[in-house]
Amino acid sequence: MIRFATKSGGHTPGQQQRTGPGQEALAGLALVALPVALLLTLTLWPTVTMVVSTFLVDGQVNASRYVYFFSDAYSLANLRYTMEQGLVSALSALAISFGIALYLRFSAGRIATMIHALSLFPLFVPSIIISYALVRFLGPNGLFQLLLEQVGFTHYRTPYLTPVGPFLAFVWEALPLPVLVLSAGLTQVSDHAVEAARDLGAGPFRILWEVLLPQVRRSLLIAFALIFLGIIGAYTVPYMLGPAAPEMMGVFMQRTLGNLHDADAAQVQAVVLMVISSVVGGFYIATMLKSQGGER
Amino acid sequence: MLSRRHFLASSAALTLVAATGVSAQDKKTLQVFIDGDTNISGWWNDILKPKFEAANPGLTFNVTITRGVADGNGTIAARALAALQSKSDPQADYFEEIEPASVAGSIEAGLWEELTEANVANLKLVNPAAVETPIRMPYRGSQVLIAYDSAKVANPPKTFADLVAWAKANPGRFTYGRPDKGGSGSNFVVRAIHEGNGKDPSLFTKDNFDAAKAEEMLQKGWAILKDLHPFTFGEGTYPAGNTPALQLLAQGAVDMIPAWSDQALQALKQGVLPETVKLVQLQDLALCGGFAYSAIPSNATDLEGALALANFVLSPETQTSVVRDIGGFPGISWDNLPADLKAEYIDVIPVSIPTFPSGDWSKAKNDGWYKNVATNLTQGG
Repeated sequence: MIRFATKSGGHTPGQQQRTGPGQEALAGLALVALPVALLLTLTLWPTVTMVVSTFLVDGQVNASRYVYFFSDAYSLANLRYTMEQGLVSALSALAISFGIALYLRFSAGRIATMIHALSLFPLFVPSIIISYALVRFLGPNGLFQLLLEQVGFTHYRTPYLTPVGPFLAFVWEALPLPVLVLSAGLTQVSDHAVEAARDLGAGPFRILWEVLLPQVRRSLLIAFALIFLGIIGAYTVPYMLGPAAPEMMGVFMQRTLGNLHDADAAQVQAVVLMVISSVVGGFYIATMLKSQGGER
Repeated sequence: MLSRRHFLASSAALTLVAATGVSAQDKKTLQVFIDGDTNISGWWNDILKPKFEAANPGLTFNVTITRGVADGNGTIAARALAALQSKSDPQADYFEEIEPASVAGSIEAGLWEELTEANVANLKLVNPAAVETPIRMPYRGSQVLIAYDSAKVANPPKTFADLVAWAKANPGRFTYGRPDKGGSGSNFVVRAIHEGNGKDPSLFTKDNFDAAKAEEMLQKGWAILKDLHPFTFGEGTYPAGNTPALQLLAQGAVDMIPAWSDQALQALKQGVLPETVKLVQLQDLALCGGFAYSAIPSNATDLEGALALANFVLSPETQTSVVRDIGGFPGISWDNLPADLKAEYIDVIPVSIPTFPSGDWSKAKNDGWYKNVATNLTQGG
């Protein structure tokens, strides 16, 4: 660790000569050198070589592996399912957490504190635990079904091993982040602004739409990007709760590499997912930069 | 944290024990290597060891667990091969489970002792279906069979056709695991492929894989499984492994699944599965299974002792313990076991133990299943 830091710190004197900053800037560069070096060697370099290798078939440059992926109905179904699951789960999580954040903004007291704590609770539960808990609770003849049968409802169909299973787990897991971000955003809206709007005759929906939403629009976009990226790369939840087919990309990639030992196909799947993630990631960064610019 | 003084004291004690072990000439310690699961290594240490010591005065063994370390027993075997070539002590006597062919050059170099009735008398008891080559000794096995809840299923299926008929008559009450996630589902899929190809496992060998031919042969299995698909649990949602399938049976969500014999028997013994669950093997063609093979290096430190251990392992007493204590199948013929044990397990005793080649065939089977059978795109996300 220490040797690594000194090694990458070695580049900094050159920087100093060119820009001539003080000792403070030098320390800053030294601090940032290690993470940048790690990023370059452990993430960027393997990624570039991997992407290049997907275009090399028997020493020839061609895109046949991608042609196969995008003409294979099964692969496309998995990709579409992953996107659908990501969109539906992320939007649902956002809608629910926006509701919770609104409630927390306008109420106080013991119940509000409890709801706040409950909504943050998933932050501390690993996904393998929530998966097992959902199997036991929502699974066939699980607690939920038994409770429903007690009140005479006998047509329960378990979401276990259907797309609804991972959907429930994703939404539950994703709640804390947007609740934190959105309630922080909503506290910035002053009571005066809301009261002023009300005095001018605005109804609750108009207040929501024209006063509250514009304040948290960026927070919503950022939260969406983060949740969506987390879901489309998920493995444990869809593996344990989802159907055999279609597979989410994480499960599909693992099976292609681990069971079929087809590293080339798995890499192509990874690159496709990575491109989609980069688009969403780029959108996230753009939103972040814009919000920083707005503050200045 | 282990203190230095503590450490020195305990290492002194260990040295003392080792010294006594060597000095006591009447007690020889055989080195046994195991890379199987804890149920196997635990069984060797806790149950087999005292019995072996009682039956063979002057002999004992030390179990070294190689599970998860490099190539497990393969690494130790490679060391024994090197010792054979340099004529030094391999410090190994017995491999609980090993595939000699996977240790490059070991067979040609004569690393493995040929085991015959002349040096291991109990080999005459061995199940002929399990014998492959004299350097590998089959001693325990497991096989996939059909587990069903006898409270719900009056007439358990005897043939594959019976099973399909039952599943169709009872929609949603049968399921099997995804073939790549566990052997129970995998070997059920194999059984369907066998069914579609004239119930002839010999059509599938390690060396006869050909993509086009395989596609044609596998399609016959897919047709059967696609037909079964809407009648399985959740209309084609398959549990992700051996244990999830057993859980569905334990929770009463389904009444019938394919399951590994040892896992099902242990689950019954531990009360994880209700006692109304019974096991049966298909009688027209059994589901796949396999044996664990032991082997002894010809340069074993104590070859005579190792052969005595092999003979002990194949004794009816130890083989009864294979069935009773680890839920495995015996390596010797059922006829050589106590009559009451055989009577108890009569429904699961196979007439044959088919196998399916790994490698290309297995990959084509797993991937083909996902693309042809499991595809279930009607449900929305």
